[in-house]
Amino acid sequence: MPTVMRDCNFFSSEPMANATRRRASPRLAESGRNVVSVPERRTYVVTANAIGLAPCRFRKACFSAIVLFFVMSTVVSAANNRPNPLTPAENTLRFESFDSQPVVLLGSDARRQCLVSETSSDGLMLDRTRSVTYRCKEPDIVECDATGYIKPLRDGQVTLIAKDASGLEVTLQIEVRQWANDPAVSFSNQVVPIFTKLGCNSGGCHGKAAGQNGFKLSLLGFEPREDFIHLVKESRGRRISPAVPDQSLLLAKTINAIPHGGGQRLEKDSHEYRLIRRWISQGMIYGDENAATVASLQIVPDQRRMRPMTSQQISVFATYSNGIVEDVTRTVQFESNDLDMAEVTNSGLVSIKDLAGQVAVMARYQGQVATFRAAVPLVGEMHDWPEATNAVDVAVIEQLRRLNIPMSELCDDPTFLRRATLDLAGRLPTLDEVRSFLADTTNDKRDAVIDRLLASEDYADNFANKWMLILRNRRDKPTQQSGTFAFYRWIRQSLADNRPYNQFVRGIVTASGAIDMHPPVAWYRNVSDTNSRVEDSAQLFLGQRIQCARCHHHPFEKWSQVDHARLSAFFSLVRSKPGLTPDEPTIYSEVGKPTTPHPKNGQPLEPAGLDGPVIAMANEQDPRHALVDWMVEPSNPYFARSLANRYWKHFFGRGLVEPEDDLRVTNPASNPELLDALANHFVASQFDLKELIRFICRSKVYQLSSQANASNIRDRKCHSRFYPKRMSAEVLLDAIDHATLSTTTFDEMPDQTRAVCLPDTAFNSYFLTLFGRPQASTACECERTTESTLAQSLQLANSKELQAKLAADQARPAQLANDLQRSDNEKIDELYLVIFARLALDEEKRISIDYLNDKTDKKSAFEDLVWALMNSKEFVFNH
Amino acid sequence: MLSILSGSDSSRSYCDARSRRSFLKLGGLTFGTTSLGLADLYRAEAAQGKGSSHKAVIQIFLGGGPPHQDMWEIKTEAPSEIRGEFHPIPTNVPGIQICEVFPKLAGMMDKSVVIRSIIGCKDRHDSFQCMSGWLQEDLRSIGGRPSIGASVTKLRGQVDPSVPAFVGLAEKSSHVQWSDCGGPGFLGASYSAFRPDGPGLDNMKLNGLTLERLQDRKQLLISLDRLRRDIDTSGIMAGMDSFNARAIDVLTSSKLVDALDLSKEDPSIVARYGDGKPYQYQYDGVATRNDHLLVARRLIEAGVRVVSLSFGRWDSHGKNFDLVRDHGGKLDQSLSALIEDLSQRGMLDDVSIVVWGEFGRTPKINANAGRDHWSQVSCAYMAGGGIRAGQAIGATNRLGEHAVERPVHVQEVLATLYHNLGINVSNTTLVDPTGRPQYLVDREPLRELM
Repeated sequence: MPTVMRDCNFFSSEPMANATRRRASPRLAESGRNVVSVPERRTYVVTANAIGLAPCRFRKACFSAIVLFFVMSTVVSAANNRPNPLTPAENTLRFESFDSQPVVLLGSDARRQCLVSETSSDGLMLDRTRSVTYRCKEPDIVECDATGYIKPLRDGQVTLIAKDASGLEVTLQIEVRQWANDPAVSFSNQVVPIFTKLGCNSGGCHGKAAGQNGFKLSLLGFEPREDFIHLVKESRGRRISPAVPDQSLLLAKTINAIPHGGGQRLEKDSHEYRLIRRWISQGMIYGDENAATVASLQIVPDQRRMRPMTSQQISVFATYSNGIVEDVTRTVQFESNDLDMAEVTNSGLVSIKDLAGQVAVMARYQGQVATFRAAVPLVGEMHDWPEATNAVDVAVIEQLRRLNIPMSELCDDPTFLRRATLDLAGRLPTLDEVRSFLADTTNDKRDAVIDRLLASEDYADNFANKWMLILRNRRDKPTQQSGTFAFYRWIRQSLADNRPYNQFVRGIVTASGAIDMHPPVAWYRNVSDTNSRVEDSAQLFLGQRIQCARCHHHPFEKWSQVDHARLSAFFSLVRSKPGLTPDEPTIYSEVGKPTTPHPKNGQPLEPAGLDGPVIAMANEQDPRHALVDWMVEPSNPYFARSLANRYWKHFFGRGLVEPEDDLRVTNPASNPELLDALANHFVASQFDLKELIRFICRSKVYQLSSQANASNIRDRKCHSRFYPKRMSAEVLLDAIDHATLSTTTFDEMPDQTRAVCLPDTAFNSYFLTLFGRPQASTACECERTTESTLAQSLQLANSKELQAKLAADQARPAQLANDLQRSDNEKIDELYLVIFARLALDEEKRISIDYLNDKTDKKSAFEDLVWALMNSKEFVFNH
Repeated sequence: MLSILSGSDSSRSYCDARSRRSFLKLGGLTFGTTSLGLADLYRAEAAQGKGSSHKAVIQIFLGGGPPHQDMWEIKTEAPSEIRGEFHPIPTNVPGIQICEVFPKLAGMMDKSVVIRSIIGCKDRHDSFQCMSGWLQEDLRSIGGRPSIGASVTKLRGQVDPSVPAFVGLAEKSSHVQWSDCGGPGFLGASYSAFRPDGPGLDNMKLNGLTLERLQDRKQLLISLDRLRRDIDTSGIMAGMDSFNARAIDVLTSSKLVDALDLSKEDPSIVARYGDGKPYQYQYDGVATRNDHLLVARRLIEAGVRVVSLSFGRWDSHGKNFDLVRDHGGKLDQSLSALIEDLSQRGMLDDVSIVVWGEFGRTPKINANAGRDHWSQVSCAYMAGGGIRAGQAIGATNRLGEHAVERPVHVQEVLATLYHNLGINVSNTTLVDPTGRPQYLVDREPLRELM
């Protein structure tokens, strides 16, 4: 059993053997234990513990050998002043290098961002890159600036020495080769990224469709061929002066020597300036058509646990299609996904602010993306963790443990009943439900509530409301009513029957025929052109927003126009013909070959799912079925995840990926393990929606209290407590009706129809519009606004509608006032049970009874009381 | 306060019914028809407070498409079946002549600009393009483009917490697009205009409650509302709390309701604007609400940033000239009153006014003495906002068919309005729901007006 610890090779994902992991020192365990299948850097570390724990004879023999080696290497390293890989744990200052030494820099353009780190006593790797001083043992071979960025000056071998404040030194061997060999500057690999980095080809400047002041570049450099033509050939080549490169407009404008609307983007004589100048003086070669393109991007280190108010230098490596690996740290674009938590500079210095949590920094380069994830644990004593009920708990607790954020307590029974009834059934619990739940003493009463609610009709109403709005069930003309009502009924019935989600999606995407026989055709009626159908399907069912890719390569994702075209090929044969009425067309998919023209060259493209194989279809097949087949395959990375994320957001107010229909590499989930667990469970259950809901609601995480303690008050994404969410417009209106014992009537609907049951969008209700009920114009749940406005406050405080509900003779205040049998005490209790699902506290009772006794007109006093309770946050929020 | 025109001091009056002493006492600050004494002036200034210094826009939408060749550029060299019945009249700017139905506006051409070559209009009866500069199809999948009122609300917020930043005055017409004051687009419903009709306005007046009872309720609420605010991660609770407080303010002292109430305005000023009655040629459009222009001024004084209103139904497929005489005369009266009013209050440089419709009309007069739709060219009238006034920009060809000189795109007009509000369209963006920054318009403001 080797006692010299060797972590994973940077480029491979071999996990360490369990046995060696168990013997790891506390320092190493920290970086190894909670990380699953992440490639780690290779370092050489000796574990004194491992040696100490060696019990058997074989190991004792190794032990002696090691000790001998240890002594010799210490002597040797002392002589050579090299970092001794076998030194004891105290000397933990080291260069982090993912490849073997010497580090090779090829050519004069090569660069390297050094990383120096130190392991702290509590196991965190601290970045020391900018707090050490650098010097080179041999002069003039490389130049290293104070940030550890190395630039070659001539061929040779050099030892770079980094020395920290205490005098400790570590070294790095560097070799420079082929410095004088001026390789041809590759336009697409070297010049275009400069334009991207400096923002020249962004959507605000030359990258927009009309260009800027007559000069156009492709957006974010996705079309280097076109950029080459624009730069070199357009306008009779006036932008470049091959004879005197410095006088080229391209360079002179960039440094603002000639007035430039975009100001100065480069310093004269900076590396980028000299690169472009070299490219010009080499004759503006485009470069090999088959030149190496960036195949992948890695960030080193790719994740770290960090303390608040610290920083970490990261370095980025691009691997090209010809196998060459290059440091591109200063040419990529960095972006933090949570500016409240971390910022990143252009040179890759990530600065963590003082919030605890997880944050990701993305590096984008030439269409590839890599992510650096920082986990910032809360400082303080270690907390206790409750036992997990299911895989949801496991994933959440694991993350909280890693970040040292304590969980709040479980919520009490009244809160749970109210929360579950609102989330599952879209209404407040009735008085009977509350009373029987509070009196129930069985152990699994909460699970029973979940089951009861899932089996109820209200569940179907509530979720049908959610789905029909994003399925754009809009009624614009009265003649469309039969269609929209039929579609609503179909959706509701699917949910009530618990139809598997894959069949639900298939029913919608492959809908054909007339609307009375096949109601999901209404979706095709509302989403009436191919582009909208493609983009809606991708957003709704795959969680991918591919709208941008219609016209150009998606700026944040890897989807190209070809991907968009191939996806839309599935819909390319969908036709409509007049149906029973002019407003209800019949939809069908024509017999033929489904293709879409290539956006650039017009060649027909066959259908393929995103990142999926091209599907050859027979003429008589409906290509939409093939699309759904691809979507519902268990290995499809988007289908189950996007639904799991959407449902997570329904219950927790915040998706694991936010926005909930924007799953992309540059937008990582706040807890990827949890998202995977949910998706896997969903797929394993054969896409059973009720089972997914049960899985979520039975977890401890769902049943946490919203009360925060001092340590987790600032947690906003790790679900250490329940985050309160405002009731949606429909639920709020119904809740007000429930509290006041009144009803709202909607045009042409039967009396007693609740707002949550409205089948489409054509009901004019000022209240509902005011509180954000969407108009079903988009497939995005973000169309529902939850922002507060002045008009909302006025509505709740003073509207005629509310006053009428309060003051009606049959309303609850009047009933309570006229009830002479019961005491005020009992009445207050009933009021609190109806409105908050709990009994009133003594203090609250005292205030209410005082108020009632103060007033002679009992009815208006009760009206005031109910008004006050309905305007309180505890009512309006699901907490 | 003694008005020069009141003539009350008759015992010591001279033949012109004024006494020198009274004249001197007043300080002579009563010009024209508005009786604004010094005290009133100070009071007005104090009342305006912050309001007088904020920039604002009044959008007057001429729904239906006004005939560009019968408004600001009579095609005198065209044959009579194209030229029509109107003659041009000179204005107080030499070289600029406008239609004879606008005599009062002709007298203040030096404060305004007429643009005769608006291009880029869509042949569609709705106000969307005039309100936002874009078509409805643009960004439809994420909610569409926001109108200028919504954008300004988002970018600049409210001047006064109890007064909304964007108000749409037009009452709902049968053809609803003509009374559309501009929507919030992808910014979301919270940036919609406040429309003082129906429930929105009702809620600002106490409904069946006395102020005292409202205060009682408020106290009860404060004592019972115990949910901790700091547990909220969305910011909605804090927003609701702050708006709840303001709601009480609005109910107890409503600046907005007062601004909408014309009975609080000086009757002579109200008379000067006129009421636009009797309403003619209205059909499915908006009436000629002269009073709305006055309400617009009052709203801006109360702190509104963008007021959008519709005036008349100009879709003259028949009886074009009678319609223009009717609508034009009323527009002349109210618009000239508005410009004069703003000018006297010192507000004209802060308030930009634009008067335009969705497209122009056919050069050839049809069989019903009307003109049909013509989207190749349209016209606009602008005033205020610090523009270089007294200009006529652009021209159409002899027959008024298309723009031959300085075509001005619809978006350039909107860019100018944004510029007058202090918003730089070349670097101001709004983030849409997909996270992408969107520019307000794609064009620059009109250089001639800067």
